[in-house]
This record gives sequence, structure tokens and C-alpha cells, in this order.
Amino acid sequence: MTLQRVFFGKSERRAALLAVIILAQALCAMFFVGDVIADYLEAGRILEIHLLVETMAAAALVAGVVILMRELRQIISRMRDIETGLRAARGDMVTVIEAFFDSWNLSAAERDVALLLLKGFDNESIATLRGTAKGTVRAQASSIYAKAGVDGRAQLISIFLEELLADDGDIPKPAVS
Amino acid sequence: MAGTVTSTSGRSGAREVRVWDPLVRLIHWGVALTVLINAFSEDESTFHAWVGYTAMGLVAIRLLWGLVGPPPARFSAFPPNPVAAVAHVRSILTGQRPIHLSHNPLGALMVYNLWLTLIALGVTGYMMGTMRFFGIDWVEEMHEAAFAWLIASVALHVAGIVFDTWLTKVPLAKAMVTGRKTIRETARTE
Repeated sequence: MTLQRVFFGKSERRAALLAVIILAQALCAMFFVGDVIADYLEAGRILEIHLLVETMAAAALVAGVVILMRELRQIISRMRDIETGLRAARGDMVTVIEAFFDSWNLSAAERDVALLLLKGFDNESIATLRGTAKGTVRAQASSIYAKAGVDGRAQLISIFLEELLADDGDIPKPAVS
Repeated sequence: MAGTVTSTSGRSGAREVRVWDPLVRLIHWGVALTVLINAFSEDESTFHAWVGYTAMGLVAIRLLWGLVGPPPARFSAFPPNPVAAVAHVRSILTGQRPIHLSHNPLGALMVYNLWLTLIALGVTGYMMGTMRFFGIDWVEEMHEAAFAWLIASVALHVAGIVFDTWLTKVPLAKAMVTGRKTIRETARTE
């Protein structure tokens, strides 16, 4: 959720500010348009300089509202796109992780532990979460590292990080020791 | 093995969907406020008239936004469709819990009803202030009838929100504040 907050905090504030401005400006625009119409009905002609300026001001306000509305819609649709992309990326990440776990032939318990390791839990927390002894978790972790061919948690994580950073398209196979 | 991953992924099993943009929310609560103010303000005061104009302005902006706004705010997301509304009621009666990202078909009818009632209030209110219609009984009666209809509609609207929140477990009132609907991962939306 933190990633989302970084992406959206700014956009959301901007969207809210825009909405407030649109509302205020639109209400002002309607006031002026109404005023201009009333003045026309009273004066009956356009060539009065005061009325002309007032008409232009009203038109400018209306144009401003329309432009701001377009801007707001763009911000909203951009947020939507990023959100969809994030969700897809998350789904892809899960697929990638599962593919690695499969290729290492992890047991069901090891998969759970491996995922918790990736999420940054220490052995003690994992033991508490899974209701097992600390020694069990340590043994499972060693087994995972052995199967993955890495020498610790940092390297295990780097396998997946590399997957995210790689841009040449080829999938780095974990080294088997 | 997907189950293993999701069971420990730490997600709450619900997703949040952005539905109501800030403009929709501001207008909604703005209109609610103007209705509340004018329900208690002095009937023939200038203040009452200006609050009324403001409400009309808010409705006008919302209608424009219904044409050019983002998809969930557009009329096309919730067309006035009595047939769909009847189907919606029938599906509830048969024990289904349909979730809609925008308004549900029944709620959509309420939205149009509220807008039309507000416009009727605004128009008759304006007429009462003009020389031509000043003091004419049927205009005043219509204004009062529209107000009674509005209050009944608002009561029904709130009851509908409570009922739908209970039925679908999607906190609707919260969505009109934060803009996001919280929907359980397993739930299907229409």
C-alpha cells in the first residue's frame, strides 16, 4: 500500500484542489452569465462597453471551467491507468515467485517460509506466525537457500529484485550448487 | 499451489476501487448542505433564494460532469432504466447480492429523481421571485409539493444506502467520503 501512497498522494491532492477550483469557478461563471443575460434584457443592445467586457469575462470563466474539467478528467484517468498497471505488476510478481518456487521444488511449508523470508520477516517472527519452533524455521530456511543455490536471505531476495530490474528479457536462472 | 501464496500474502482479501471523483463528492455534499440550510432558512429571504441558486449551480455542474466526466460519473454508467431496476429488485428477492461499481439500477433512478426534484424546486422557487408569478398560488404549492417530495426521496435514498450496505457489505456512505468502494476479493461486480 505504501507504493500506492507514493504514486497517488500527490495526484489525489491535486485532483481535490482542482475539484474545489472547478466548483468555485463554475458557480462564479454561472453568476456572471446570469448577470450578463439580465443586463442584456435590460439594455437591449450589445454595444455598451461595460456589457461587452462583462460578456467576455463570463465567456473566459466558462472556458476556464471547461479546461479545468478536462484536466481533472485526465488526472483521474491517469490514476486509474497506474492502478491497473500496479495490479497487473503485482499479479505478475506472484507468478514469477511461484515459477521460481516450482523450479526449486520447494515443499508447501517451504513455500510459505520462503515467501515470509522475502517479505522480510525474521526467523523468530516466522516461527510465531506459523506456530512452529525457531529451529524448524532455521532448518527450512537452510533447505530453501540450498535448493535455490544462494547463501542467504539477501541473495534470495536479490534473485527476485534482479527479475524486476532486468530489461533484456532473458530470465536469469538460479545457479545450482 | 496458488493458494499457498495468497494465504500468506498478507492481503486483507478486499480491494479498493476508485469510484467517486472529488468533484462528484463535493457536489453531493454541497447539495446536501444547501438542502439542509434551505429546509430551515427564512422562506422569503434573499438568503434562501441564493442558497437555492447555489444548489441549482451545483446540479448544473454535475449534469455537465455527467456528460464529460470520468466513466463512473457519466450518465452512461447509470442510465435511467426501469427495466434494469425491476431486474435488480428481482435478483435481490431471489437472494443474490449484486454489486455495482457505479450506482445500482435502483439507485440510478433515485439519482435522476433527486435531480429532477431539485430542478423543480429551483424553477418554482425562481418563479416565485419574478413579477409575473409572484403571489400565484399554484407556483407556491408546487414549490412546497416538490420540497415534500424531496424530503421523502432523501429519506428513501438514505434507507436505500443502509439497505445496500447491509446487503452487499460494501460501505457506500464511506465511498461517498473517500471516493473508494471496498469490495471483497471474492465478490463479483457488474
